[in-house]
Amino acid sequence: MQTLPLTEPVLLILLSLAERPSHGYAILKDVAEMSSGRVNLSTGTLYAALRRMLEEGWIQRFEEEETGSRGRQAYRLTPAGRRNLQLEVSRMKHLTHLASLRVARKEV
Amino acid sequence: MRSLYRHLLYLYPAPYRSEYGEEMLIVFSEVRADAAQRGQIAHSVFLVREARGLLLSALRERIRSVIGPQFAAPLLPPSFSSRRFAMTDSFRFPKATAVLMALILGGVLLAIQKAEAIHASLPQDDPTVGPIHPVHSIFVPGIMLLFLYFHAAGLIGWAVLFALRRAGVHRLSQMPSTESK
Repeated sequence: MQTLPLTEPVLLILLSLAERPSHGYAILKDVAEMSSGRVNLSTGTLYAALRRMLEEGWIQRFEEEETGSRGRQAYRLTPAGRRNLQLEVSRMKHLTHLASLRVARKEV
Repeated sequence: MRSLYRHLLYLYPAPYRSEYGEEMLIVFSEVRADAAQRGQIAHSVFLVREARGLLLSALRERIRSVIGPQFAAPLLPPSFSSRRFAMTDSFRFPKATAVLMALILGGVLLAIQKAEAIHASLPQDDPTVGPIHPVHSIFVPGIMLLFLYFHAAGLIGWAVLFALRRAGVHRLSQMPSTESK
């Protein structure tokens, strides 16, 4: 399945979950913080993305132990999701390296 | 506001709503409390963003539930796609929006031309005609007419999708191909 490159919101959501499992509100805050307030996802957009990633098997959903309430679900990255994230990061590193070389060559 | 959001969740298909509805409501309330603390403007921006996000994602889920994800993916723009998360180098604006914007621009240009033609046809030195004032009275009926027009267009689109669903188009991909026999 061709999945790369990722959109910025999806990349940020995956990055948010890469460190630790999280729930919807914390993901939204983390995405806004990581992008310095540039990417502000709505609740509808976030859950649409989460649903797609759940279907693709990139993330898993589970109930948070500390609250136990039905609505408080959390999400964590699956091995497949982490693998795709690493692939994307590698791709971006390569692009950044290439861009640096090209820009440096232009300036000389 | 929470009650309104709960009602708006009915725009989503029932399975989606039962799966994510309560969770979305909790997150909406938490983010709204944050936005309200940041002032009136931040709160208004938040509400507009939430309304837009909810309407777009509900529309996508409705289309997806009617024609199935395998057919929804090619029909919808990349940001709507259920099969890919790819950022394409093509124009990322939904095509329907671009068409709508072009139509609106065309309408505005036509209106300007028409107004200029009327202005030129009037006798400039006739005091009985006087200056042309904008007709505010047609604004509200005009908005209502536009609303009805788009409502009708939405219903027609929905009927087409429903007919496709009833025709069993979404099951075509599940049929065994002749080569596999």
